Amino acid sequence: MHDRQADDSSITDQALIARTAEGDRRAFEQLVERHAAAVLRLATAASDPSTAEDVMQQTFLSVYQQAASFRAEASVRTWLLTIARNTAFRLHGKTRQEDLVEEPLTQLGVQAGWGSDDPEAIAIAAERKGALRRAMASLSAEDQEVLTLRDLEGLRGSEAAEVLGISLRALKSRLHRARLRLAASLRRLGTDDEQASIGGQP
Amino acid sequence: MIETAVAGLRCSEVLAQLSDYLDGELGASEVKRIEEHLLGCPNCERFGHNFGSMVVSLRRAPDGTESVDSKLVSRLLTQLDELTHEE
Ligand SMILES: [Zn+2]
Repeated sequence: MHDRQADDSSITDQALIARTAEGDRRAFEQLVERHAAAVLRLATAASDPSTAEDVMQQTFLSVYQQAASFRAEASVRTWLLTIARNTAFRLHGKTRQEDLVEEPLTQLGVQAGWGSDDPEAIAIAAERKGALRRAMASLSAEDQEVLTLRDLEGLRGSEAAEVLGISLRALKSRLHRARLRLAASLRRLGTDDEQASIGGQP
Repeated sequence: MIETAVAGLRCSEVLAQLSDYLDGELGASEVKRIEEHLLGCPNCERFGHNFGSMVVSLRRAPDGTESVDSKLVSRLLTQLDELTHEE
């Protein structure tokens, strides 16, 4: 069955939720079409690529069942992503390593190429989507979540903080550290790639 | 990294505020001090520029992946049917 109609973008997310609460399947399908990619990305960050689809399914089933409890003043995307994150934990939560010992920022900076003779390496590597994906996948769930919410999905700081259940101040700190660790990972991948291509020469 | 103080800011202080600076989260006076530092410190300018480019690439990354596999959506709707018929 591929008769799904094109998204009617004039209908707000809030209206779609209200209709879903009344049992309107079309409205629910539109909601899925609009937000499935974002939910899947956060599910991948918070759980695992292999279980992300499962998390996405369960998230939207919960959304269908809880649509009536949605507060009209809230952002639908923030609400959906909060449910997605809770679902990821419930089903396949990774062990959280909640900032046991914070590395000094300057140490993270040095690993990211701060003060090095080739800080360009991170920008060059980041232009390759495959490298970006691999660098992301090498980070902790906490780092992946904050980068997904803030940079991939473009949520405001306050919205991302709400989804993660932390203060705005903590959010900003976590985001900066996650970006530095991403840069460090891109640097390492760049070096590995170079060595691989040199090693691969006849 | 040799720490220098330019415009009354040390390099490590600039590093600490780099994301807030890129995200437009700082006040006008803080922005001015950071920009003065960047003008006088090639190390921080180079790193800041490339770190910023990385964030821009990251923010652009989801392009073209806005829809998920239609099989996934079909599976979800089938599950929903099963769920609602049970009630
Ligand atoms: Zn400097």
